[in-house]
Amino acid sequence: MKYYKFGSPKGRFIGNTEKYTVYENTLSDRLDNFQKPTYRNFPGEFIFSYGPATGGLLESVGFQIQTPGELIKHIDVEPYFKARTINLRGLSPQDALLKIERINGFHAAAHAIAFEMAVEDALEIEVTDEVKYSRIIMLELERIRSNLEVVKRLCEPAGFGVPQNQIAYLIEEVARLISKVAGHRYFFSASSIGGCKIKVSGLENEIIEIRDQFETLFDNLLQSKIFLNRLQNNGVIKQGQLLGPAARGAGIKVDARISHPVLPYEKLGFKPDVFDEPDAFGRFYVRSQEILSSAALILEATGKSGNSDTIKGDEVTGEGASRLESPQGDLFYYVKINNGTIEDVQISSPSLLNIDAFRRSMIGNIFTDFHFNWESFGIWISELAVVIT
Amino acid sequence: MSSFWFFNGLKKGIKTEKFPSAKPEFPPEWPSRLSGKYSDNCPVGAITPDGWIKEKCIFCRRCIPDMQPTGEQDIFEIKSGENTFKKSFHIFPLDSGACGSCNMEFFSIFSPQYDANRLGIYPVNTPRHADAIVIMGVMTHGMKEVLDRAYEAMPEPKLVIALGACAITGGIIGVPPLDRKKFNVEIAGCPPSPYTILAALNAAKGGKKEMISSEHKNDGGT
Repeated sequence: MKYYKFGSPKGRFIGNTEKYTVYENTLSDRLDNFQKPTYRNFPGEFIFSYGPATGGLLESVGFQIQTPGELIKHIDVEPYFKARTINLRGLSPQDALLKIERINGFHAAAHAIAFEMAVEDALEIEVTDEVKYSRIIMLELERIRSNLEVVKRLCEPAGFGVPQNQIAYLIEEVARLISKVAGHRYFFSASSIGGCKIKVSGLENEIIEIRDQFETLFDNLLQSKIFLNRLQNNGVIKQGQLLGPAARGAGIKVDARISHPVLPYEKLGFKPDVFDEPDAFGRFYVRSQEILSSAALILEATGKSGNSDTIKGDEVTGEGASRLESPQGDLFYYVKINNGTIEDVQISSPSLLNIDAFRRSMIGNIFTDFHFNWESFGIWISELAVVIT
Repeated sequence: MSSFWFFNGLKKGIKTEKFPSAKPEFPPEWPSRLSGKYSDNCPVGAITPDGWIKEKCIFCRRCIPDMQPTGEQDIFEIKSGENTFKKSFHIFPLDSGACGSCNMEFFSIFSPQYDANRLGIYPVNTPRHADAIVIMGVMTHGMKEVLDRAYEAMPEPKLVIALGACAITGGIIGVPPLDRKKFNVEIAGCPPSPYTILAALNAAKGGKKEMISSEHKNDGGT
């Protein structure tokens, strides 16, 4: 393993896989399990159940909210209603990739590329710089759409119909652009082990158009005091383990694009967007800024990108690990390959830590704050509720 | 400020396409109807010597060049529609174990480009208000009871719609949530495009089943 080694806990905590605890550059087999806090009901309090299948939730997830009526005293999140079992062991890496892309289809590029980088590490496959820049384009296009979706879903509970629909329009435009670039609206089968096949001709003009339209919308949203009031001081969280936009919104400068430089982000002059409000507004602000910085990265990378077919390494056995910055935070993959087939895959998805941060940040808020705070974390249940066999 | 957003909305003009009464403006190639000859390189057995099985296909492009996309978005099956819902069709989406892309494509039909509301199609928050349940994803242990209870809570008449390869056949991930005999409508794709979903829902409520052929505007795919 080029980027990771087994050892004692060291550096920033990234998350847990089924077997290992993941830190910045080390894997520990001492599992750092989350302590589920217990809560004792006070007189007059009751449990309000919300989900798993109801309006306002994009995916199936259950909530148990302890409340005396309006104030949220404690909340339990149950993400495993829709836990899927996905069989990867015994498959070739290329066949496994078809399933990996479908762990979280909305972030298929992030999952596919993280897996590919781990396999390339295991089989000692050298990837060309052109392919690395193509992968950056894929990841940043996906980040733009993901962040737009979060901003749209923040407008929804505010009943802010005009910006909500204007952002929905942009999301569809990005989906069409992705289809043009990658041949599929969700990047399915657009990249492979050691390779990548995308078309970037004409991409610049469309990205500039989308960026400019969003920039105007963002400026207008910042003028809307009623909207901002719903976000400010909602879901304040600055303690504990935070990842991705949740951390950067709270002023913590962590970003796998810098700390795990397998992809050449630094050569594009990338600097993480950081803000200093640890609430839903801070997360909204950072995600909005990241839409603009992702557009800048794509514009920088298009001239440097290129394609390549799948590369078969000389090795057929090995273990590898890699990490990248998905739109929600650090996404980690570990693979062990024996004689050309997958023996083990371990995944640490950012949604695990984000759910914990959401749960802690919700205490002391009121019911009407719930959706703003939940959406501000951009949590995806499908990447968390998955059992690899 | 409220008047600002009102005028801001007006300034943008109408963004909604005429589909399904006109051809799709930006039909994706993947997914769309495939045509060609037998290929033994299909990971889900969607290509047989007898032809292409759209409900199994995950549109992974491994069959290229034997099979090619046509851009046609009519990859759905209406086994039994319900004309009662012709003017208003209320739909409850249920994620039984989806990867998230079917969820996103389902809600895309309410974006300005498609605006399903103009066809009388509305999402609802509870199965009690639903004319149809749209099931997305494979069967998962925890969602079985939820699915059964949602189905029982719906008033008659009702339709059951399978959206995406996972819901119809299990796709490449697992097993489908229901026996295929129970589906009134099957919408193929991994995930189905908003055009396919919109046309299928419109046809299920008694609208036209035939789609106007699409032209290839999007030459994506490699």
